Amino acid sequence: MSDTKLYTIIYVVLFVFATVQVAVEFAGVLEPETYMIGLTAIMILSLIKAVLVAGYYQHLRFEPRGLTYLMLGGLAGVIALTTAAAYSIT
Amino acid sequence: MIGYASLLSVPLQQLVPRGTRVTVFQNIFWVFLVLGTLVGIVVIGYMFWNAYRYRDGNGKDYDDGDLPQLGEIPKDGGKGRKLFLSFGLSAIIVISLIVWTYGTLLFVEGQDTGQPSSDVGVENKDPVVVDTTGYRFNWSFEYENGKETNGRLVVPEGRVVQLRVTSDDVFHNLGIPKYRVKTDAIPGETTRSWFVAEDPGRYRIICYELCGQGHSGMIAYIHVVPQEEYEQFINNESSLSEISASDDESGRLAAAR
Amino acid sequence: MSDNDQPRTATDGGTADAEASAEVTEELPAPGVGETEDHEEHALPSLGSVKRWFVTTNHKDVGILYIVTSLFFLVFGGTLALLMRIQLWQPRAAAGGPLDALAYNQAVSAHGLIMVFWFISPFAFGLANYLVPLQIGAKDLSFPRLNAVSYWLYLFSGLLFGISFFQGGTFAGGWTMYAPLNVPKYMPTAIGSTMAVLALALFVASVTVSSVNFLTTMYRMRAEGLKMRKLPVFSSSILLTVWMMLFAFAALLAALLILTSDHVLGTQYFLSPEGGSLLWTHLFWFFGHPEVYIVFFPALGVMAEVFQTFTGRRLVGRKWFIASMVLVALQSFIVWMHHMFLTAINLEVKTLFMATTIGISLPFDLMVFSLIYTMIKGRIRFTTPFLFSFGALVLFIIGGITGVFLGAVVLDYEMRGTYWVVAHFHYVMVGGATALFGGLYYWYPKMTGKMYDQLLGKVHFVMYFVGFNLLYFPMFVVWETPRRVFNYNPAFTPWHQAATIGGFLLGASFLVMFYNLFVSLRTGEDVGDNPWAYATSAEWAVSSPPPLENFPGIPSYRGGTLSFLDDVVPASEVETDGGQEAIEADGGEVVEPDGVYATHDHGHDSHASIWPFGISLGMFLTFLGIAGLRPPDSTDLVAPGAADPVLVGVGGVGLVVLGVSLFAMAREPFYTSEAPIAERWPYAHVEKVKLGVWMFLGSDVILFGAFIGSYVFMRFNAGWVEGWHVFIENPIPGLMNTYLLLTSSFSVVLAMVAARKRNTPGVIASLLTTFMLGVGFLINKYIEWSHLFHEGHTPSAGIEESTFFLTTGLHALHVISGLVILLYLAWRAWGGAYLGEDEPIEYFGLYWHFVDIVWLFLFPLFYIL
Repeated sequence: MSDTKLYTIIYVVLFVFATVQVAVEFAGVLEPETYMIGLTAIMILSLIKAVLVAGYYQHLRFEPRGLTYLMLGGLAGVIALTTAAAYSIT
Repeated sequence: MIGYASLLSVPLQQLVPRGTRVTVFQNIFWVFLVLGTLVGIVVIGYMFWNAYRYRDGNGKDYDDGDLPQLGEIPKDGGKGRKLFLSFGLSAIIVISLIVWTYGTLLFVEGQDTGQPSSDVGVENKDPVVVDTTGYRFNWSFEYENGKETNGRLVVPEGRVVQLRVTSDDVFHNLGIPKYRVKTDAIPGETTRSWFVAEDPGRYRIICYELCGQGHSGMIAYIHVVPQEEYEQFINNESSLSEISASDDESGRLAAAR
Repeated sequence: MSDNDQPRTATDGGTADAEASAEVTEELPAPGVGETEDHEEHALPSLGSVKRWFVTTNHKDVGILYIVTSLFFLVFGGTLALLMRIQLWQPRAAAGGPLDALAYNQAVSAHGLIMVFWFISPFAFGLANYLVPLQIGAKDLSFPRLNAVSYWLYLFSGLLFGISFFQGGTFAGGWTMYAPLNVPKYMPTAIGSTMAVLALALFVASVTVSSVNFLTTMYRMRAEGLKMRKLPVFSSSILLTVWMMLFAFAALLAALLILTSDHVLGTQYFLSPEGGSLLWTHLFWFFGHPEVYIVFFPALGVMAEVFQTFTGRRLVGRKWFIASMVLVALQSFIVWMHHMFLTAINLEVKTLFMATTIGISLPFDLMVFSLIYTMIKGRIRFTTPFLFSFGALVLFIIGGITGVFLGAVVLDYEMRGTYWVVAHFHYVMVGGATALFGGLYYWYPKMTGKMYDQLLGKVHFVMYFVGFNLLYFPMFVVWETPRRVFNYNPAFTPWHQAATIGGFLLGASFLVMFYNLFVSLRTGEDVGDNPWAYATSAEWAVSSPPPLENFPGIPSYRGGTLSFLDDVVPASEVETDGGQEAIEADGGEVVEPDGVYATHDHGHDSHASIWPFGISLGMFLTFLGIAGLRPPDSTDLVAPGAADPVLVGVGGVGLVVLGVSLFAMAREPFYTSEAPIAERWPYAHVEKVKLGVWMFLGSDVILFGAFIGSYVFMRFNAGWVEGWHVFIENPIPGLMNTYLLLTSSFSVVLAMVAARKRNTPGVIASLLTTFMLGVGFLINKYIEWSHLFHEGHTPSAGIEESTFFLTTGLHALHVISGLVILLYLAWRAWGGAYLGEDEPIEYFGLYWHFVDIVWLFLFPLFYIL
């Protein structure tokens, strides 16, 4: 498929996922009992969107792996910081 | 030397030091110090010896036909095996030291709430719990029966004292050098520490985290008194309840910033 | 492509001997020999002129600027230390010493900040700037003008810090800047303390630009045959240092931006009882621990080089040495809580960090032994550089052993906040500085072409070493002295007095060095290429000082040794005789320079530009202005002081200067080139500017990650659902903004496609659409925020508001910056640029998509959850 077509499809997917995330809230999934489920679902949707933008719009899928590792390294660092800090006060 | 004498006088009942914070610290600190000094002397001595032995102009020539050349692509100097031997040895020493202290860490961490273990060495195992609040620039104390004092902590001798420490304003750190007590005082958080109130007397409580202009003078006093005097104090029946002038000598600044 | 039309000639490999190399392709004027060669607008004035130093972009000049400036800060920080030592001559009552308590706290804080940030790393980077391109075989760094920007930002940040003393006093909360002492409610030096924080933030900008530059250079400009594992140890150490810098300093920047916001916008991060204080310690130490290795690694690299040269032996276990450095660099990011053992963290986490801390000490053991064993069977000459490096190793061993004490948590419990810590870190850090001074003595002949007086050098060393130990060793003896106080136990007085004397001796020793190095510039003996026997790296194969573009040809290690080619032949075309080493299968990358950036058709590279100075001046003035801001509503602030309109006005001027300089630098014709054959693993086929953009985005990930992490930490601490008062009830404005931003990403991608297809109207239309969508995003946000302010939800209302406004505000700033660049691109496209060449749009897109990705996480975190 041509580049433009691929980009358009991804755009539509991004648009839909963003709408779904808000729909999750309006569907009442974020009440205290089911909060964690709602949170997980919403964050996974965001993750997928981010991967699509990074992989295709930023072209990372077709670049040398070193660039992906560079970004993942930074991400790993801040996740370690946030997780360890949060855990340390439990 | 004084250090060795005290080391020998502390009976090492078991491999992992337990006891008061003072004995535990002394024990571990001296082992580290002796080992550290030894390692330092050996390694640095070896460095100096090599420097002397292989100095240029010592009459010997170790030219093995493969001297470093200008423009050569960097190469390894070999002798990796010897390196790993030394590295392995030092790793074993360091790791053993830390593993050895871990047992003591678990012990120390366990005494700041509830009944202290018998290894602490006190007869009356009921702990005295005191809530402590640091503020600029003094410490205030609240006892179990609700009594409060400012700048002065009074505890009965021979008991375990458990402190719950926080701060009213900025990050402080409460330390009682005599009993090897040290813990951060953080606004919004509570930390814990403990000690055995041996050796009746009056000692200093010092702040160990920069907290403003009055940091240098942020000193309070701990009075360790016999049990009966403590009873009188806690029930407002003794002169210690009133603030005496002598505890005010620390040069506390007015509560300006 | 410059060489396409000329017949290629094979050259013999040759040796590194400059005389035997093939003909020089370009005229390379030696510095100091009058005006340079042509009428190009970027002719570099001679070394004697003042103007040269303001416009130069050459890495050697920038290196010298860094070194000289850092030595100035050494004197500044050292004087503060001597003032402290005078105060500590005996225990003082509150008003009894030469300094009052507030002055003492400022001295303590400024001493630490200046030494750690404005002296030691810049000093190391002065050496790195000068040497790394020479060692790897490059003409200069990848982005010479950015290199100059780094330097000027550094100088101006130091100036800003100096000015803070005169704005009511500088920061007085220790170099560790613990919260909440660091906010105006508790810090009496109001605007001065804000200015000091901003000075540090400006310094971080300098460091980030520098790290992007060095990383791109070291991944794209290594000479053929110089694989990563073959780099000289000094260059390896710098490579790892800049990796750590890229990530660690972004975390510090997050902490500083939040702190600045608490100062000037009234946000409530660090005053928040739900973990504000702990938040600072996490952010600061996550940066702070890698920072100490950032400080030390260059020293390690210098020690390795100097030991090799002056023992005449190669480094023992070289590949393990380098592997150890890599391990330490990685591990440095997972040990930070050992600075927090006494905070309210749980036992499990303490155990974990105790283990990782011991883990990180082990590679150092290996490196220490490697250096010692290198001496065996050597022919050791006790020159000044070697004395300093040898001494540095001794000091580092002592410092390292005492560090193990601190790693044992039970001991740390007692040693926290005492002089044991002070003595330990001075032994390791100043031990590192000792090696760096050795490096200065080692490379001084290369930089100046003169040799200094060796006897004076040794006198310096003796005074230095005696003074150092007299100053710091007593601190171990009286380790129970609390930090940052001046009324210690009177029994400790003799030891503190010995330390004070040692301090003055140490300081005096530098007078010897300054005299020696300064006078030798004129009267020193001339040196040739290589005054040191057994020195092997590439900088010793060229003249002292090296020519402007470093080498008499294109450096290559193709044959296993350094040679200079006057033209480049792909490896497969070289005729080999039996004597040459077989070329490895994954030999030098033959990369066709891609796009318009890799090379140029002008005969010469550019070396001068005034705009780096302009940009830095603009940033300096802007930050001066920000320091003068104060929050409009002072809810929980005790007498924060009023805003300073003069400063704010200056800030406005600064923004104009910045804007003009950025535009001028973008329009300026400036030519750089890269060698057609170079080692580029693992980023072969990633064009230079693209690689730089990705590196920058890597650090931006940490910046936003730290902001988001701060929000997560505070909210988790308060109780994610129950304790956090979510005040955004309606997610629709946020959803609208999400739609706008997603669409703008789509339109940028379409612009890139249009540029490739040479469709100018398409390019302009998509760029303008992107712009309008971005503006729409901002307008929507403006409306949203106005409503929120109206309802009383201002940034200073509470921690929920603070995290929301600052995090999304930082994102909005990124959007605004993007729109400015976009406007420039659209204007250029209108003028006919970017036809068939989509790189600028592609690279802008990378940034824009990143900003979009961040929003994809901000939106649910702040609007839905």
